[in-house]
Amino acid sequence: MSRQTRALSTALSASLALALLGACTTQEGGSDPDRREQPGVATGTIIGGLPKKGGTLTVLSNQDFGHLDPARNWVMPTMDFGTRLLYRTLTTFKAAPGDQGSGIVPDLATDLGKPSKGGRVWTFKLKPGLKYEDGSPIRAQDIKYNVERSFAPDLVGGPDYAQRYLADTDGYTGPLQGKHLDSIQTPDERTIIFSLRRPVAEFSYTVTLPTFSPVPQSQEKGVQYDLRPFSSGPYKIKSYARGKKLILVRNPHWAKTTDPVREAYPDQIVVQMGLKGGQIDDRIIASEGADASSVEWSDMQPSSIAKVLPRPEVKRRLVAERTGCTDMLALNTSRPPFSNLKLRQAMQYAVDKSAQVTASGGPALNDIATRYLPPALTGEGRSNSAYGRSTTSHADKAKKLLAEGGKPNGFSTTITVSTGDKTRAEALQQSLSQVGVRLKIQTVDPSVYYDTIGDTKHAPDMAINGWCPDYPSGSTFLPFVFDGRTIKEKGNQGNVSQFRDKAVEKRMDEIAAMSDAASADRAWNDLDIVIQSKSPAVPLLWKRKPLLVGDNIAGAFGHGAWTGQFDFAVIGLKDPSKSKG
Amino acid sequence: MIAYLVRRCLGVAGVLLAICAVTFIIFYLLPADPAAAACGKTCSPQRLAEVRHYMGLDQPLWRQFGDYLVGIFAGRDLGSGPHALHCGFPCLGYSYDNALPVWDLLMDRLPVSASLAFGAACMWLVLGLGAGVTAALKKGGLLDRTLMVTAVATASLPVYFTAVMLIYGLVRISGLLPYPTYTPLTSDPLGWATNLLLPWLALALLYAAMYARQSRSSMIEAMAQPYIRTARAKGMPARTVVVKHGLRSAMMPVLTLFGMDLGALLAGAVITESIFGIPGVGRLFYDALQRSDQPVVLGVTLLAAFFIVMANVLIDLLYAVIDPRVRT
Repeated sequence: MSRQTRALSTALSASLALALLGACTTQEGGSDPDRREQPGVATGTIIGGLPKKGGTLTVLSNQDFGHLDPARNWVMPTMDFGTRLLYRTLTTFKAAPGDQGSGIVPDLATDLGKPSKGGRVWTFKLKPGLKYEDGSPIRAQDIKYNVERSFAPDLVGGPDYAQRYLADTDGYTGPLQGKHLDSIQTPDERTIIFSLRRPVAEFSYTVTLPTFSPVPQSQEKGVQYDLRPFSSGPYKIKSYARGKKLILVRNPHWAKTTDPVREAYPDQIVVQMGLKGGQIDDRIIASEGADASSVEWSDMQPSSIAKVLPRPEVKRRLVAERTGCTDMLALNTSRPPFSNLKLRQAMQYAVDKSAQVTASGGPALNDIATRYLPPALTGEGRSNSAYGRSTTSHADKAKKLLAEGGKPNGFSTTITVSTGDKTRAEALQQSLSQVGVRLKIQTVDPSVYYDTIGDTKHAPDMAINGWCPDYPSGSTFLPFVFDGRTIKEKGNQGNVSQFRDKAVEKRMDEIAAMSDAASADRAWNDLDIVIQSKSPAVPLLWKRKPLLVGDNIAGAFGHGAWTGQFDFAVIGLKDPSKSKG
Repeated sequence: MIAYLVRRCLGVAGVLLAICAVTFIIFYLLPADPAAAACGKTCSPQRLAEVRHYMGLDQPLWRQFGDYLVGIFAGRDLGSGPHALHCGFPCLGYSYDNALPVWDLLMDRLPVSASLAFGAACMWLVLGLGAGVTAALKKGGLLDRTLMVTAVATASLPVYFTAVMLIYGLVRISGLLPYPTYTPLTSDPLGWATNLLLPWLALALLYAAMYARQSRSSMIEAMAQPYIRTARAKGMPARTVVVKHGLRSAMMPVLTLFGMDLGALLAGAVITESIFGIPGVGRLFYDALQRSDQPVVLGVTLLAAFFIVMANVLIDLLYAVIDPRVRT
């Protein structure tokens, strides 16, 4: 997925300021971008050791959550917040840093689900004794009900995997008018059976999404459920003033004995919203009073880097985990010049990726991307790139391909970027001019960026686009970005390249139908290389998510499953008595 | 007088209706699609159509506008079925982004913006009038020149610069004040004032400079009037002459300015609220713009228009009370 939509616009406005830092060194070709030293604490480090129970954890944020309603929550960090604190799902990710965090464990369910009929039917059993915040039992019917809610046109914006995977859902518009799905059966209160339209090998991962958390029908409030999701997790909402403040307190009916991941250390969690980004950084760097018990919600501002990296006592409070997303330069394959394969391939060599790193905040916050699938989805030794791992441009190779494509003297082309990405576009312009390609830059406001590049008739030749997998499987990446059948005339957001390739689409269907997750995984990686050779996009960056914590924070690490946001299941305080309670 | 009042109120309604129509049309023409924004990245055309229907965006423009106008006076129901949303009088639409009626959002944020506006207004009136009147009375002297040079310098600093410098000086370096985090007056009056002090100062400095210049020139003008000379000649105390005769008439143009400024600030100081992280109407507007949350943008626009127009009417009424010639 996604949610680049909002995350990006903030991140993008950052890049401009970053370029001014200038002093950043860029890495030379040859070094392995997967194994570089990172800023802040190393991957796998848990800041502050083991937390103590109690106290108030404060989250300082520059914004409000998009949606906390589990049927509508599809913004990575918010999914982390929701599923770790307020609602439990059938399975969930382990509470562990680094690669270990991409493993899953049963949450409400007793196991990771039992596939039958070759992966077309999945059965989950709920643990006994699970309760909501009012002490009433959590039933399998409630999970079914929330999955059905995700079909309602009033409750949009959430993950669409139920629509993609469940059988016989055509024309279904949710349970609010009293209609229910037959493809989800609940023979008793602790059993739920999903019938899928095709085999889905990684369905155990799919049910980590908040769509698969329980909502009792008696609590239904339609659109307004967003303001007060009914808790099945360790905390419940005490008060929620939109855009101002959210206060969570303990849910006394949540039982640690039933929960393998959540530790729920703090007694209370307060989210203070609408603050100014730079001030949040300053407060946490100073770490005085209640700010010592605070963490930041949104990325550290690029301008704060200089206040953090030179000071060891602050640097060890910086988490900069990989977001797990790939940032790409989409080439519009629907018309010249990039309907020409050779010209597209030339771009792979013409783009100076280290200049992109510099323009996006330097090597502290970015690694160079050498393929489409992000590192979390490619195992060791399989991280192949069709164009080598070079990080700077290769004008000679690019010129040769341009000549083969019939444009030895280059050509004129256009890029549309949101205002915050102008520096990156200028870096591109600079590197493309080396091979005679004249790039015209158009900037648009971030709020209309995706609408502009998503209008296929008027789309530019190039655009910067990113994608984040919903869970570690190629099926949540490549089909969203490179399946020609998903292209829409307006509001086209995944396949910005408008890449249509029958062979690739056929292969995607074959891999999707594989019942063995490991061979599917290998196949997605191979397909990545195949698509690279057809060059619908140039992989640019793997970004990191820089987040600061206060001096009194313990158990903090960036979780790979949620674009590097803190794992709220296990974060807490070193000394609860120091937090304002 | 009554006829004059009625005429003015009709005028206000007309202006508001025109602003409403123009804003509505602008949004209709923009490329941003609220239904697509709500629906998300992978929205299928069929689902998008369902969402458009649910949000009422599949209706023709005149129909949407008509429903909106009727809703303001009569309230309306959005969606259908058991979980339809009722949006009561005065219904300014529903923010699907915030899951709240626009009116509720505005009423939630208005006290915050009002806190900011009134606090800052008190400060700038004291500072601005004080400096202006003092300068006028010491016209040509060193004090006058110092004050006016300071005023010109302060007025030419944009609020985002002043704000950042204030934060740097009073918070980061000296630690005298906390980083502003809005606290409601009702829950903690002292916290309310401490947290708003910086934004008050930032706004007040800007306005005080303008008010100092304005009040200085009208005070000088007033003090040059023949009746001041007469009053002095009658042997009235200097204080009475300045305050009762001079200041009172000098305040008329300042009052006009003040009404307009306060009206505009009540509907949100977008930059100040954003820099200091104050969840007022201005911040609501900024966030809504970012998310193409059309009903909220429209609501704030109407609110702002309402305050400015009302401030104008009040000032004109004040004039009318003083000067009967205006009433015709």
